[in-house]
Amino acid sequence: MEAIANPRRRQILRLVWDAERSAGEIAATVDDVSWPAVSQNLRLLKDSGLITERRQGTHRYYRADRRALGPLEAVLRQMWMHDVGRLRDLAEQEARSRKKRRD
Amino acid sequence: MIEDATGAIEITQRIEAPPEIVFAYLTDSQRFVRWMGVGAVLDPRPGGRYRIDVDGEHIVSGEYQELDPPRRLVMTWGWEGHPTVPAGSTTVEITLTPDGGATVLKLRHHGLPDEGERRLHAAGWTQYLSQLAVAGGRED
Repeated sequence: MEAIANPRRRQILRLVWDAERSAGEIAATVDDVSWPAVSQNLRLLKDSGLITERRQGTHRYYRADRRALGPLEAVLRQMWMHDVGRLRDLAEQEARSRKKRRD
Repeated sequence: MIEDATGAIEITQRIEAPPEIVFAYLTDSQRFVRWMGVGAVLDPRPGGRYRIDVDGEHIVSGEYQELDPPRRLVMTWGWEGHPTVPAGSTTVEITLTPDGGATVLKLRHHGLPDEGERRLHAAGWTQYLSQLAVAGGRED
């Protein structure tokens, strides 16, 4: 989950979602300014199993391994936990300010 | 948090606010969009419909089935145009139980498609990914 918390890495993931792309193509498309940053994000995605790497000569190609994202339940649970957490913060804030007004 | 065999998610959250305030965050559009989505049109009465613009691109919509303020809310739930979880295809049940001055919120999302069906619809993944980006994206 941490691997996809970063917007650059999500951008890479979307890019290689349906098609295999070379490292050069990825670097030319994503918003990262430097190649080392792109390279580091590719390595992190690869290490978390979200993308696979294929080497051909001096070129490297990447594509997403969709199975690694886990089942729908995991995605939805993550979504609800995040959103309900926000609901809690907001409701608690409102309850506190109402109490303050009463005091 | 328990996940049972029928494709359901359960989340329990204690909130230091009375059920009336929590319920308002579930049914009042202005309060609703502060915790979910970027826009929401809610018609919170039995048979009424709601539509939530999650991220400017994906829409969640469904129908209110039960409302018992400030204790219970049942609604159908799904993404418009989604291959495996279309609008209205699953059910979200929320119960609020008072506990002192606080509320225990229980959310149960059930009727999710099973693993076999999901695998048949690989296209759905791109949308799950977007949803996940929405879920995790606010911390960026």
